[in-house]
Amino acid sequence: MSTTKKIAYLVTAALMVAGFAAWGYQLKEGLVLTHMRNSYSWGLYVSTLAFFVGNAAGGLVLSSLIYLFGVKKLKPFAKIGALCAFANVTAAMFAILPDIGKPFRIHNMILHPQLLSPLVWDVAVLNLYALISLVYLYLLMLPELTGPFARIAIRVKDPEAFSETWARRLAPFSLVAAVGIHVVTAWVFSTQGSRDWWFSPALAPDFVAVALASGTALVMLAAVLVYGIRDLYRDAYRTLAVFISVAFFIHLFLMYNDMFIHLWYGAEEARETLAITLRQYLPAHLFEVLAPLAAVVALLSARVRESAAAVAASCVLLISGVLVHRFLIMPAAFDRVPLTIAPLGLQNVTWSVPIASGRYTETGDTFVTAWHYFPSAIEITIVLGVVAYMCFLVMVAIDRLPITERST
Amino acid sequence: MRRGMVIDLEKCIGCRSCAVACKQHNAQPAGNWWNRVVTPGSDQHQTAPEKGREYFLPIHCQHCQNAPCEKVCPVGATFRADDGTILVDYERCIGCRYCMAACPYGVRQFNWEDPEQAMSRYHYQDGYAFGNPREYRYQGRLVYAPVRTKGIVEKCHFCVHYLDQGLDPACVRGCPGKARTVGDLDDPDSVVSRLIRDKNGFQLLPEKGTRPNVYYLPPKRKEA
Repeated sequence: MSTTKKIAYLVTAALMVAGFAAWGYQLKEGLVLTHMRNSYSWGLYVSTLAFFVGNAAGGLVLSSLIYLFGVKKLKPFAKIGALCAFANVTAAMFAILPDIGKPFRIHNMILHPQLLSPLVWDVAVLNLYALISLVYLYLLMLPELTGPFARIAIRVKDPEAFSETWARRLAPFSLVAAVGIHVVTAWVFSTQGSRDWWFSPALAPDFVAVALASGTALVMLAAVLVYGIRDLYRDAYRTLAVFISVAFFIHLFLMYNDMFIHLWYGAEEARETLAITLRQYLPAHLFEVLAPLAAVVALLSARVRESAAAVAASCVLLISGVLVHRFLIMPAAFDRVPLTIAPLGLQNVTWSVPIASGRYTETGDTFVTAWHYFPSAIEITIVLGVVAYMCFLVMVAIDRLPITERST
Repeated sequence: MRRGMVIDLEKCIGCRSCAVACKQHNAQPAGNWWNRVVTPGSDQHQTAPEKGREYFLPIHCQHCQNAPCEKVCPVGATFRADDGTILVDYERCIGCRYCMAACPYGVRQFNWEDPEQAMSRYHYQDGYAFGNPREYRYQGRLVYAPVRTKGIVEKCHFCVHYLDQGLDPACVRGCPGKARTVGDLDDPDSVVSRLIRDKNGFQLLPEKGTRPNVYYLPPKRKEA
């Protein structure tokens, strides 16, 4: 094992242990250890859920491009795609667990599901997608499950043909499930009329667009780390770069189109909501747009694609931009109190009704309107642990399982 | 029967007795308030925002007919009683706080830490505890307990634990201005229905389509 790899294993293992310990501590003390409040009741954990769900899109992109649209040159990356999909969709579910106040009651979701709740749909579709990606990965590996792996291989006459046929048959279902996870995750937010920032028909298509960009970037990152730049894959990398760029530009269009119509009409609630993202969080907003923009410009250049390091850096830049984009789901939703009223008898004044913070401190305000949330060290540690789990799983699988092409 | 409440802002003197009675009767932990009274437009409670423009607005769960909190709850912990009151099953809630994101009125309260631990930081006298000491179950579901566990959401339940005794909610009984009235909104001849009709009753955030069962009567004049 190379030193880099050893360090990577060591770091991810350490982060997982730290994340797990932090979660244990949070279980004991309660969510008081986070920086959330009654007025700002969802934070980094839920943002991270959306982030990982988006990253899980890679499996779909590859399987549908290969088996539904016949882009055969991507086939060497198909298994990496399915693996990334599985790792990220499970990471999404791990990311949401620490957000639950009573995680040991989670079985109530199965015993007493309330079928109107988008959260119930989300849990169902995420689990379904995890299962499909796992089955899909298994099918693709089947022809190579020999030697020590032979005992987990199902016995079929012609594994090659079996794998090919069933991968093709599964592709349409995986496409539906994959679009489903983004749409349903978006509905968790966009069905909520109380939050102007979320309540938009543009959110679901935008989630799909963002996911296609970040999910594909993650597969490209893994592929370039595994294979490096080779003549054989040059064309495949170009296809992925174009795909990522198109998806990202569609995302920019959907996002700014939504903002534009509200800014043009100029209703106060919309202007106040948008001011949080565009003014208060301007540096974050600039990063969520400019970092991926720089990344796609770089990836579209054939010269940049000559360097594995440059491709990897661009993909990381794009994914970081998407992470910040996911973080920004919350501030504009929670930093403007929905119960903002026009006090009787006053002209041109709106006033936000303060909310009990839910935290008693001797000096802090009991009732608050805005809360400048930044995740606590516990929240960050737990989320880093989940990121580490995702990386660790991908690395172990690539090391141990027949994921990469042997012919090269 | 659709239980509702009418709050007459003409009669509200901004004393916050309702908030205190609510907190006491329902054993609310430190930092959590099911009921609050605000002075719209002002920076500080009970200071006028502008001369001659002062009134008070008590806010708690609006017991909406189209309640987003009820619809988002993944486990049905938030549910509707037969009289339309929105209740929370303390034993079912998983603490996902989706209802808090869904509620536009900011009335839902999460137990971020163990309530007893939060209370100990208040430094009450030894052995002092407030709140109705008896648990209450509605159709077998725990909707009131003197001590809640950490990690669940709670809110106003129209004092469902006093309903069997024929008692009005604590905020109604504790209001010195007699600003609050409860009754059947389905009955056009009930006191609440007549008040809404005769005195221009209005709801908070009607544009959100939540159709609250709590109505307000506008004040005729402001405190000078």
